[in-house]
Amino acid sequence: MPPSLRLPSVLSSTPCGAHQLCRSTGQSSRPFSTTLRHDHRVTRARRGLFRWLSLQGENFRNPLSGSTNYLGAYDNRSGVLRRVQEAELRNTLERQNGEAKPEKTGEQSAEEKSKIPPEEPRDRVPFPQNKSFLSQAVLSEELREEIWSRVMKEGQSVREVSVTLRVEMSRVGAVVRLKEVEKEWKRIGKPLARPYAQAVMSMLPQTPFDPSKPDAHGSHESINDLPVHASTGQQIFHPTSESRHFTRLDAAKVFNKRLLPADDRIPHPELVIQHRERVIDGLTVEERKERAELRAAEAEEKRERIAAKQAAAEARVKKIDSGRWEFRFTPINADDAGKDGRGHRGIGWRYGVPLYDRSRGQIKIPKSVG
Amino acid sequence: MSRKRFHGLKRIIPRIRMTWNKYNLYNLSRLPSPNPKGTYFQQKWKAKAATRGYHGEQIREKQWQRMFTSRLNAVVPMDHRYLGENDGSELAAGRGSGLDRKPDWGDDKKPKSKLQTPYMHMTYAPTERRLDVAIFRSLFASSARQARQFVTHGHVTVNGKKMPYPGYLLNPGDMFHVEPESVLFATGQTKDKEQVKTGRELKRARRVANTRRAERRTAKREKALQAIANKKVAAELAAEPTPKAPRPVMVDETEARKQRKADLQELVKQVKAILENKKAPPAAKRKQDLREINREIKGTMSVLNRKPVSEIEGSIDVLTSRLTHLYPSNPFARIGKNAKSKSKPASEIAKETQSSTPEYTAEEKQKMREAVVTSRENPVDESKPYATPWTPRPYMSAFAFIPRYLEVNHKICSAVYLRHPVARPGLAEVPTPFSAEQMQLAFNWYLRRR
Repeated sequence: MPPSLRLPSVLSSTPCGAHQLCRSTGQSSRPFSTTLRHDHRVTRARRGLFRWLSLQGENFRNPLSGSTNYLGAYDNRSGVLRRVQEAELRNTLERQNGEAKPEKTGEQSAEEKSKIPPEEPRDRVPFPQNKSFLSQAVLSEELREEIWSRVMKEGQSVREVSVTLRVEMSRVGAVVRLKEVEKEWKRIGKPLARPYAQAVMSMLPQTPFDPSKPDAHGSHESINDLPVHASTGQQIFHPTSESRHFTRLDAAKVFNKRLLPADDRIPHPELVIQHRERVIDGLTVEERKERAELRAAEAEEKRERIAAKQAAAEARVKKIDSGRWEFRFTPINADDAGKDGRGHRGIGWRYGVPLYDRSRGQIKIPKSVG
Repeated sequence: MSRKRFHGLKRIIPRIRMTWNKYNLYNLSRLPSPNPKGTYFQQKWKAKAATRGYHGEQIREKQWQRMFTSRLNAVVPMDHRYLGENDGSELAAGRGSGLDRKPDWGDDKKPKSKLQTPYMHMTYAPTERRLDVAIFRSLFASSARQARQFVTHGHVTVNGKKMPYPGYLLNPGDMFHVEPESVLFATGQTKDKEQVKTGRELKRARRVANTRRAERRTAKREKALQAIANKKVAAELAAEPTPKAPRPVMVDETEARKQRKADLQELVKQVKAILENKKAPPAAKRKQDLREINREIKGTMSVLNRKPVSEIEGSIDVLTSRLTHLYPSNPFARIGKNAKSKSKPASEIAKETQSSTPEYTAEEKQKMREAVVTSRENPVDESKPYATPWTPRPYMSAFAFIPRYLEVNHKICSAVYLRHPVARPGLAEVPTPFSAEQMQLAFNWYLRRR
């Protein structure tokens, strides 16, 4: 938006002694006020802003169709896309080198000029000063639909879908949750914010998915991320014998007695085992299948054990439903407070033990929502 | 005192804010690369001030200091093939036998590996856990402050429950939802003056129609109630035979005055019956009218013995007629209902064009159908607080990115906070406009020993 009509040249030409008065008489709603109107003064800074907005800033006013439109993709001086500049430079170089076939390039250029070259990762930098933050791709609508149908319709496990589509397990779960809500809205006829979603998705880089070629799907993100454990932050000089077969397991033990090796701390340890069995151990398909089933049975047993434990803990809580509230009574032991009455598992207020509930700096807003 | 500017232009090193404002975009474009000038303390101070102006500017400094942690989360992507083929001993194998590689002591000729983990960019990762910041990052609000307002105004739910605290720290797996109307308002183009005016008029007309409808409904209800009350009174009258309808010419004036007094008392009784009806209490306006009538009845009663009988009779007639006129259904109330939808929605226009022009190819028909669908989903509605049909606000695309720790479904304006942000080789997940050096200085400022 250009600055509103308050040109300094006009103001200076008026033969008025009280300069400020003249200035304020123009469009002001308070014609007799002599106060300087700071907010509308045309300063050099504001001129610079509007100059930039009318030249380079014009690129950002509306989204670029078929591409992202970040500050880092443009040359700030000229306000032209870097990739367009480079393509032009390349074209001119080619023309200079081989002028033997100019008619062919002439035909192509008409089509190509309207098209901008495809974006690269370096064009996805929203903050030019920070090169280590990129706008990373989000799941496309088709990919989300595919994830939902694989989990909910075909009954595949989240782990399986995560491996085949190369999407993090937590993301798979979240996509299914959100899709379920979306379908519910559609079912009850609640209006979706579709125009908004379309506009936003057109501005973001996306991981495409072609339903006709599901096997050719590329990776969305790395699914085997090993979290850096705090105890591996230190450098340790650990002398061992040269002949010792010092593996990752031993290294983990050196860092921390209870630290597991990387093989067990990644989200998909089964991929490592499968690869080892296939390539290193050279097992046949039947053997691998058998082992996989064994592992699955083990995992299932473990899961059931945990579920049973949880159910038992749940059963210990006595629930009384009063229509409006559900009262839950947990059995407690008065001896938990300990001999001195200061045990951390003790319940209720005890003499001499400070209660910090009302003191400053205590978090009083909920920490989790069930 | 004037308020300090949020998006200032004066500073040489401008303050960058968490907004989609065009001033902010301009400031971002002219943000100079940091110049290490001054003492170490000064550098840290400046870096802290600049970064805090962006990250959690709405949070008090003490609050942020309590949130700050020197533990920075990072991950290393592992290749399962490598893990399967090697058990880790290969890194130490041959050490001391001449097999170990020469260590790289920062050879200047070689370009340094780009894949260093940018730990320092994770300094402000704890603020990304806040609900208001997460809403801004999911592109549901045009600034962190607006997101905060949405939360405090009760437009946000977390896991299906209303969450009025912008400082709520999201846990991995939390699903938050913002009212789609608020989101469309925040991210859509603003209305111009005329649109605001027409919208206001439309809203006023709707309000009037609504109140009229409500009045009609209450009037109907009261009419029914009055019929019941009348029946009651009639029954009472039948019980004690005091003739009311035929007003015989009284010979004796005192007798006539007594009769008029009884009439007035009966009127009071009726009014009282309507006023004290608990099942269907009359509307406030109606109550006022009734009270007015009551007052006048009492006034007439007080002058009963002073004024001539004929005058009192006239006033009683007026009062009864007023009481009966209060209730008939208003024939003018229905006007304006059909005149409501003056501006035809775009979908109808599109339909008309479709029906009027025959002979289209299948492709064109498909396109037209799509156009109809979009116009139905994105109609012209002046009563909305944003310009309709909805279009994204200017300069939004420069700020449109979604970090990987969020999974957003824009159709339902909901998102899931998957995990805490992490750094990985070459990439940091916390969106920040500042360079690594500045972030490091800020990080050092917040370490306990500086």
